[in-house]
Amino acid sequence: MTHRNTISDQSYSVVMGGLATLSVAILVGPVIIVLLTSFTSSRVLTFPPPGFSIEWYRDLFDPVRSGHIHSALANSVWVAAIATALAVVVATAAALAMARSNRASARALEASFMSPLILPGLSYGLAALMFFSILGFRPSINHLIAGHLVVIAPFIFRTTLASLTQFNPALLESSASLGAGRLYAFRRITLPIITPGIVAGAFLAFVASMDNVPVSLFLSNARTNMLPIRMWGMMETTLDVRIAAISGVIIVAVLVAMVVMDRLTGLTRRMSM
Amino acid sequence: MNQPLPVDQGANAAIQRRSVGEPLTLDGITHSYGDGLAVDDVTLQVAGGELVALLGPSGCGKSTLLRIVAGFLNQSQGHVKIGERFVDSLPPNRREVGIVFQNYALFPHMTVADNIAYGLDARGDSRSDQRFRVEKMLKTVRMEDFGDRKPGQLSGGQQQRVALARALAVQPRILLLDEPFAALDKNLRLDMQIEIKRLQRQFALTAILVTHDQEEAMAIADRIAVMRKGRIEQLGTPVEIYDQPETLFVNDFIGSSNRFEGEVLGREADRYVIRLDNGAIWHIATSKTFSTGDAVLVTARPEQLVLVDQPYDGAFAVERTLSLPLGGTLIHDVETPKGATIKVAAPRRVGEAAPPLGPTHCALTENAAPILFPKSAG
Repeated sequence: MTHRNTISDQSYSVVMGGLATLSVAILVGPVIIVLLTSFTSSRVLTFPPPGFSIEWYRDLFDPVRSGHIHSALANSVWVAAIATALAVVVATAAALAMARSNRASARALEASFMSPLILPGLSYGLAALMFFSILGFRPSINHLIAGHLVVIAPFIFRTTLASLTQFNPALLESSASLGAGRLYAFRRITLPIITPGIVAGAFLAFVASMDNVPVSLFLSNARTNMLPIRMWGMMETTLDVRIAAISGVIIVAVLVAMVVMDRLTGLTRRMSM
Repeated sequence: MNQPLPVDQGANAAIQRRSVGEPLTLDGITHSYGDGLAVDDVTLQVAGGELVALLGPSGCGKSTLLRIVAGFLNQSQGHVKIGERFVDSLPPNRREVGIVFQNYALFPHMTVADNIAYGLDARGDSRSDQRFRVEKMLKTVRMEDFGDRKPGQLSGGQQQRVALARALAVQPRILLLDEPFAALDKNLRLDMQIEIKRLQRQFALTAILVTHDQEEAMAIADRIAVMRKGRIEQLGTPVEIYDQPETLFVNDFIGSSNRFEGEVLGREADRYVIRLDNGAIWHIATSKTFSTGDAVLVTARPEQLVLVDQPYDGAFAVERTLSLPLGGTLIHDVETPKGATIKVAAPRRVGEAAPPLGPTHCALTENAAPILFPKSAG
């Protein structure tokens, strides 16, 4: 096949190249700016930083001066961990049931399972708050977990369903013809094959929970302070440089987690060839 | 991998449990999907240790029938009996029916050895029993060196051996083969057909092969059930099906054949005298009954026809348009004056080249047995 460099080819590469550069600049630029700012020697958030110092990180890790941030982080991690664990169970079960059924009602249910992703977070947060109030509950960490569970479950549901749709049903038929019961087949066949999908979804769900503002905004109180809310508060009042330092820590933590994830799923892919 | 290796008798004797396979009986099986009948009142007796091929075009119900035997589908009517036991109410995992699928359906995340051990582990065999048996099965299918590989690292033929070993490891009462050769290339296919036939014989397994490939069915089946529209059109040995097709559908589906129109002139001894529309007079034996003047269709396989230099009353004029020396066979394409194309196949003698093209005559070989059908059947 000969390739002629026509005008349309050229304009294609110019436009695509431009868009790609722009996207990378918009995505990566702010991250770099935040990281650089977090090492500033200045007392306020400014860019470019006048000098280099790790004072803000030292400040951030100081248990006395940043205790409220630490407790907010602990809350966020706790809520994210429990909500993700529950969501894994709920969403995997839902995806399994959905993949097995081909009724129209299942399709409708699928859409409703995905709806928390589409529904504006603020509306859902407000609705959840009113719902819990009507039921007579006071805001507590359990309600935060419940609220987050609803919002993050679709991430796991989606990735698990995707791995189930690629699942060859003949594998289960083979399993049955070899005398294996359903539970045995689930443990030895289905679960190992969909685990990468579940893990990927759980990762997304955990990050989404850690990052969630709208639901936490309505369902948290002073005792159940969440990290993003705390950061927002700091931003509004003091323009504290520790915000940049927190962002720096989060960015690094997520990058590390992503690399680990890729290694794990990449490994699984290689193992399951 | 392509040469047949000596059979390890020791390994196989230990695996062999029954000296004769169990018979399989399908009694009046009917299955309907929403709008129509997928299987229409099929009754079939498969003797112990026999391999029956369900042969037919896609949508003829052969796969549905297989899934009913396996228990993946519950038939609307009729019964499945394995040995002396009705299995209609048993779920697939309690029927002891082994399956080899077209795409082998090996568990991708497990090693070959774990794949083979799967059914043994599921029924609770001890680790050492499993290891022992896996070794034997690997040996039986000549895959000793591949136990630690993943299915993705194997060729199609190797995957099929593993699928077979996995199915046979649990000593199924019936073996079902669902288009097992479709994904293999031609040379490998023949090797695997021989291999499966060898194992099936050796284990005296009752087996059902589902296929749309008539050569495959002819090669390894003891009997062939040609299926069409949910029914068995003809059941017989490969030779019977090929030589004595009972219907035009079977005639056309199996092998290639030429079709002529003609008229019954009368009867001489045990043969009908037929005048073909092209003028030739053929004497044809049949068990069917025709009357003088009936319009008939006559079918003859390419190898039942021969090209002759001199015209006589059993020959008709043709024009040879193409001759292909296909290895040991010469295939002639000839055309009648009316424009119909006829295929003639003749064994090729060593050194014999394709004869020159041009006018010649076509007749039946000496012991040809063409088939008569009433014209209305066409």
